[in-house]
Amino acid sequence: MITPLYAQSLLREGAVMAAVAVALIGLPWFLTAIGGYSELATPIVLWGIFALGFDILIGFTGLLSFGHAAFWGLGSYAAGLMLLRVTDGFIPAVLVGTLVGAVASLLLGYLTLRRRGIYFSILTLAFAEMFYYAALSPLQQWTGGDNGLTGIPPADLCGIAMKGEAIYYVIAVTAFIGIYVARRIMRSPYGLILRAIKSNETRVASTGIDTRRYKLMAFVISGVYAGLAGSLSAVYQTYVPTDALHWTTSGQVVMMAVIGGVGTLFGPMIGAGIVLYLANVLSGVTAQWLLIQGLIFMGFVIFLPGGVVDAGRRLALLLSRRPAPTDKRAAGTVSVHPAQAE
Amino acid sequence: MNLANLSLQLLTGLQIGAIYVMIALGLTLIFGTLGVVNFAHGALFMIGAYLGYAISEATGHWVAFIVVPVLLFVIGIAIERVLIRFFYNRPAVDQILVTFGLALVLQELMRWIFGGTNLPYGTPDWAIVPVDIGIGYYPPWRLVIVGVTIAVVGALYLFLRFTRFGLVVRAGMRDPEMLGYLGIDVPKRFTFVFGLGALLAGIAGVIGGPITGVTPDIGMAVLVPSFLVVVIGGMGSLPGAVLSGLLLGEAVSLSVLIYPPSTQIIIYLVAAVVLLWRPRGLLGARGVME
Amino acid sequence: MTNRKPPLSLPLSRRAILRGSLAAGAGIGALSLGGPPLVFARNAWAENYPAIGNFPIKGSTVKFGFTVPLTGAYADEGNDELKAYKLAVRHINEGGGILSTLKPMSLKGNGILGKKVEYVSGDNQTKPDPARENARRMIERDGIIMFSGGSSSAVAVALQYLAQEKGVIFMVGLSHSNDTTGKDRRRYGFREFFDAYMSGQALGPILAKEYGKDRRAFHLTADYTWGHTQYESMKDATEKQSWHTVKNIMTPLGTKDFSQYLTAVLNTDADVLVLNHYGADMVNSLTQAVRFGMRDKQVNGKQMQIVVPLYSRLMAKGAGPKNIEGILGTVNWNEKLTDPGSKAFVKAFQDEYKEPPSQAAQTAYLQTILYANAVERAGTFYPPEVIKALEGFEYEGFGPGKSTYRAEDHQVFKDIYVVRGKAPSKMANQFDLLEIVAQVPRSQVEYDPKMMGGELGPYIPNKT
Repeated sequence: MITPLYAQSLLREGAVMAAVAVALIGLPWFLTAIGGYSELATPIVLWGIFALGFDILIGFTGLLSFGHAAFWGLGSYAAGLMLLRVTDGFIPAVLVGTLVGAVASLLLGYLTLRRRGIYFSILTLAFAEMFYYAALSPLQQWTGGDNGLTGIPPADLCGIAMKGEAIYYVIAVTAFIGIYVARRIMRSPYGLILRAIKSNETRVASTGIDTRRYKLMAFVISGVYAGLAGSLSAVYQTYVPTDALHWTTSGQVVMMAVIGGVGTLFGPMIGAGIVLYLANVLSGVTAQWLLIQGLIFMGFVIFLPGGVVDAGRRLALLLSRRPAPTDKRAAGTVSVHPAQAE
Repeated sequence: MNLANLSLQLLTGLQIGAIYVMIALGLTLIFGTLGVVNFAHGALFMIGAYLGYAISEATGHWVAFIVVPVLLFVIGIAIERVLIRFFYNRPAVDQILVTFGLALVLQELMRWIFGGTNLPYGTPDWAIVPVDIGIGYYPPWRLVIVGVTIAVVGALYLFLRFTRFGLVVRAGMRDPEMLGYLGIDVPKRFTFVFGLGALLAGIAGVIGGPITGVTPDIGMAVLVPSFLVVVIGGMGSLPGAVLSGLLLGEAVSLSVLIYPPSTQIIIYLVAAVVLLWRPRGLLGARGVME
Repeated sequence: MTNRKPPLSLPLSRRAILRGSLAAGAGIGALSLGGPPLVFARNAWAENYPAIGNFPIKGSTVKFGFTVPLTGAYADEGNDELKAYKLAVRHINEGGGILSTLKPMSLKGNGILGKKVEYVSGDNQTKPDPARENARRMIERDGIIMFSGGSSSAVAVALQYLAQEKGVIFMVGLSHSNDTTGKDRRRYGFREFFDAYMSGQALGPILAKEYGKDRRAFHLTADYTWGHTQYESMKDATEKQSWHTVKNIMTPLGTKDFSQYLTAVLNTDADVLVLNHYGADMVNSLTQAVRFGMRDKQVNGKQMQIVVPLYSRLMAKGAGPKNIEGILGTVNWNEKLTDPGSKAFVKAFQDEYKEPPSQAAQTAYLQTILYANAVERAGTFYPPEVIKALEGFEYEGFGPGKSTYRAEDHQVFKDIYVVRGKAPSKMANQFDLLEIVAQVPRSQVEYDPKMMGGELGPYIPNKT
């Protein structure tokens, strides 16, 4: 039965997704307008998908993993190797890459989630670094070593070559679906449990819930997103660098999540845009762009831990002079148009 | 592979481990007392190396060895006062993030000031000619590093065991809250300990610089293995840091003989195995961040 | 072939209107995401070339893109390359430098085909991924017609693939790996710098002459494409001289502390240490090897020696004259050469930057001029024609003798140099670090292109 409240929330959801669609379509044009270049939109959305999944882990479940580059990188290599050696079909390559991300995160999650806190974080880092160094040297035959995986042919989707505009739209559609799925997950009872675990795991465990299982599921979901994004990246770049497995890649997604705003799903995607814009456009202007990026990151951690999204919300509050909304509406329900948040 | 060869390789492992140990000592001291995971520790090492180069170029090595640790002590205190102390009550994740950001900023700052290329930080002249130690020729400076590390570990032990301040620090590592109830000025102690940790990193930097080279990215390069050393040894355990530092140093050195491509991977492998088998580390206290 | 106006030049002719609307449609298409080439811009006249990459040029200036490492293991060379690029652009626009010595020279010192050259640059951090992003940004946003740079072979290879994909010519900067014009050769990539095989062939006989034929060599090799090819080439060349290869250990790029590897070397009966390292790696490994007493050690009744197959003056500076004294290696070019082209380049560089250029600078400079020259000769910027102009191009007037850009693999062949580190007492000034031991003729280092494998690929990209 559709009650007025239900209809209202459906409408809201529809409006949010419509805004997302508009943002995704308009992003390339927007980038050109602010001194970037339209092709930058593709890596931004790719990293946005990665950061989205990562937010489920850090923003909602409260787990800081420094090893997610492993799933992004493994997904990239798997998809790249598929295209290089097996078939140039787009779907099989991406499917295999995502699957590899899923399996790897299941394995790694099972091992690392036995510990908590800083030990968990360091364990994720240790395992990811193992993959990186393995790809660099012993497995060179497969991964191309320091060269990376070169000469990947363009993937083929129903006869259309996946590059340029075509691939951007495919990736944008994937991102759209990804956002929708993520929002559904987070607003389900499952998402509620995850958020409860973040705020007080002991209490949740005392109600009889197997928190480890839920944490593992969250870990795997974020691994799937990472693997998916990594595979798409391999298709887009027609190249896989070994850096894809390096801890700096993990560090980059952490920065995106924090700058954008953890626990908001959209925040990390905005963060992806900001970080990549700085990396690609600012780097042409000054040699100190990394310093600026680091300072901005620190600034957010110190003063605006809620990220850009939180800053935007506070600004909106200030401007509208309405009483603050209750916390229930805080996480996961933000519908900020990405362009407005700047 | 005769005994002399093996001994040489073991000695190299000792010397590799020595640098890890020095950095790990500061890390574990800070964590054990303040509960802060200091991702910027590698950057402090890097600053120590840069200052070591700059000062030794200007006034010679001995001056640098004395001045640099003192400078790092001051820098450490400044960082604690200006930044770290606001994060004691924030979640651990935020501490990691802010020190991670600090590390990046410090790294880029040094790159801006000194440039990205390697600065030729040389050892004192008497340390350039290799010495015959019976089992072969060895660079004397690396022996100095081992010696200094032993001296520092010894001095730290004596300080913690036999001074009042050391007593307070050890108590603080066990139970900082209780310490506050006893009327001890905890914030001041915290500042001092952070400075002490930075001083240790400074010593590591000024004597390790000639070996690691002086570039902005050496900070992060030594941080990850040092972190593993701390975690394997047990966070907050100083003997643990020494033990695991040696263990990892030898693992790295011996892996070259057994299977060279594994040299990079071996420390992560050891870390993963130890953490899964003994989650609190080799000598760590039970219940600490389990 | 030049762009000629159509026979019917009345502004409102039917054909002109048709062409105009076609162009407008193509223009609107071009406003989208820089996607596949605008095939519909091709038209009936054969003189007008289809669009490829950023051809045709819009506007009265043409842009070059330079991606160099300003941070990372090869930052020193990167800085020098950038200086050389700037100098080359100035000479193209204003004349001077090797424009007056290189033959055949079509450039007139007023730009290329009447257009002035501008440039953009980026820091590729000695890593392939940032290098590709740099290049993509310069291609898409800045509309470059050619790009150059890269100081590591991994970067060079990654950029060559990108060049082929995008249809923008890439003039390789510093890259020594056999693979760059070997198994990873690409139609849109060109390399002037010599390769590992040539180094090996040149060094082998000289090493045998200096150190004897009965030597046991231990190799420490940078673990990436260049290191591997360098090791293989050196192994081949020395084994041809009856040397024995004891062992090879791969060291990760960017290793700071080589102690565990050096100890392993000392634990064998090797009496020569070959350092297949470059840049910061070589500075560290060489310095540490000397500290470990490798120069003074006596093994098998002989003095232990160290060989650095690929040398550069910048690396020599970083390692310090005390450490490089007497060590043999090879270089692409040396600033002490006396031919008019080298002298002109060195003088121009010295006047501008107050220090002599390195071989990285030399190849960067020469590549830029060679490209510009090829365009002027071809009479168009259309990439396939420029490529054809470069393929098989024989030139002289910079460096010794005649050099050729071989068509089958886009590699330049010329004489190369074996050098030795100078004793500090013999140095004339702080830059005088290397002395030339031998000039190895090209015939001794040439090889069959099929030996390296690889395929160049098509002239028109996007045609799989």
